[in-house]
Amino acid sequence: MMWLSGGFIFRKGYSFYHRLDPRAKLLNSALMFVTTLLARSIFEMVLVVAFMVGLSAAATVLKRVARTMAFTALFSGFIFVVNVLFTRDLETSVLYATRFVAIVVSTSIFFITTSPDELEQVMKMFRLPRDVVFAFVTAVRFIPVMMLDTIQIMDAQKSRGLELEKGNLVRRVRNMIPILIPLVVNSVVRSGELAEAMEARAYGAAPKPTSLLEYRARRVDIGVACASVVLFALAAYSFYFVIPVQFP
Amino acid sequence: MIEFRGVTFVHQNGVKALDGVSLRVEAGEFVALVGENGAGKTTLVKHVTGLLKPASGSVLVDGVDTKEASTAQLSRKVGVAFQNPDHQLFSETVEEEMSFALRNFGFSPELVRNRVTWGLELFGLEEYRKSSPLVLSGGEKKRLTLACILAWDPQVVILDEPTVGQDSIQKERLAGTIQMLKSAGKTVMVVSHDIEFLWPIQPRVVVMKGGRVVGDGPSADLMQDRDLLGSARVAQPQLVEFYQELHRRPGTPFVHALDAARWAEESLQP
Repeated sequence: MMWLSGGFIFRKGYSFYHRLDPRAKLLNSALMFVTTLLARSIFEMVLVVAFMVGLSAAATVLKRVARTMAFTALFSGFIFVVNVLFTRDLETSVLYATRFVAIVVSTSIFFITTSPDELEQVMKMFRLPRDVVFAFVTAVRFIPVMMLDTIQIMDAQKSRGLELEKGNLVRRVRNMIPILIPLVVNSVVRSGELAEAMEARAYGAAPKPTSLLEYRARRVDIGVACASVVLFALAAYSFYFVIPVQFP
Repeated sequence: MIEFRGVTFVHQNGVKALDGVSLRVEAGEFVALVGENGAGKTTLVKHVTGLLKPASGSVLVDGVDTKEASTAQLSRKVGVAFQNPDHQLFSETVEEEMSFALRNFGFSPELVRNRVTWGLELFGLEEYRKSSPLVLSGGEKKRLTLACILAWDPQVVILDEPTVGQDSIQKERLAGTIQMLKSAGKTVMVVSHDIEFLWPIQPRVVVMKGGRVVGDGPSADLMQDRDLLGSARVAQPQLVEFYQELHRRPGTPFVHALDAARWAEESLQP
């Protein structure tokens, strides 16, 4: 589980992509996301995925993106089977299944290279309410903490003879109760403690609090943003006017 | 009974938590693992129940290689009370919480009832039998987790930071419980930073630093090695410091730190 979760959680990195302005990364990911929706054939989708893989390699997060792909492959397999059953069109089914993987990877690249602090700043730039931003960023920041909690709870219960992998499906689901209850209770307690700690440090006292981080776009950030727009335009033009459509 | 043979363990993030640890703990021994935060103490004890498997080397519990056995099989012999009790409490009542492991191990209903009553009485939790374990205080939760472990009578008892959140009376009771376990021939391993708690019980002390064992011996001797303890960021017991301070002056009445301990004990008695 921890292995898979590594595909979605930010870890500090030092590649050029990690150091980019979060706005440039967000624009790049958003355009990759839209490009996956524009791709109308398997060939086009392969091109989009290849670009994402190349970008992940350049950002030194290829292994973690591969984990994202492994995780989404389960759901993608489900999408493929359902589509084959209902449309009986193998190529369309492959396209939809691959598109799902590509969509998740496009957002994953943004999240695993952008720290919660940067995420907070981006959301503030879009003038989202401060409480909403704080709640969202805190939720993101606490994902690794909850993963660690889950492991410790599983260790504690396994040490008391709980065998998670034992029995039929119903038994296995029931076996999750000793894991889920402490996890939920701990999370509720932690959120209460966090709220108290925030209030004790004057959260909400100033109507417009100041910020520690301020972003100014550098040339490289503007360059990446422009390159993203140009590549997107090229991809859209090619998909609709250059590469022949193989099937609708 | 428990043998670590050149155990090395590397976390997923690449940090080497254990680096060639070799250690032998005999049946019925009482061992305290001390050392700075991140020294590998908890990682080491997690190998005893098979929660972690060594990257290289092996861990033998009663002759069984932990790589060859499941945690469920090993936990019948080894009971671990983890540091944070909130990580294991989930049942509707204290009684059900205590019976969880017993039911997992297939104990008969009658034996489950007897063991639950025994554990609740031993740890003074009888009045909370029908209460939710989630509403207990921190100290009570800690005692409940210990009662849960002792209920199935494991041969090896591992306590990870058992004194955290306990008042002095509870610490004394805990020390009494450890003495009781020693008398019953149980192997007890305690991971703790609480040197003042460990000193009166006089365990064999294993000092860890950076994933290695850097000191191992009886606490009466090892606790006097100020340099060793200092290098592992472990404080000396106050009585040992007192003895060593006296020893630097002429005419000290004590030959050994334990003499000072006995003198202090006798002097403090009403």
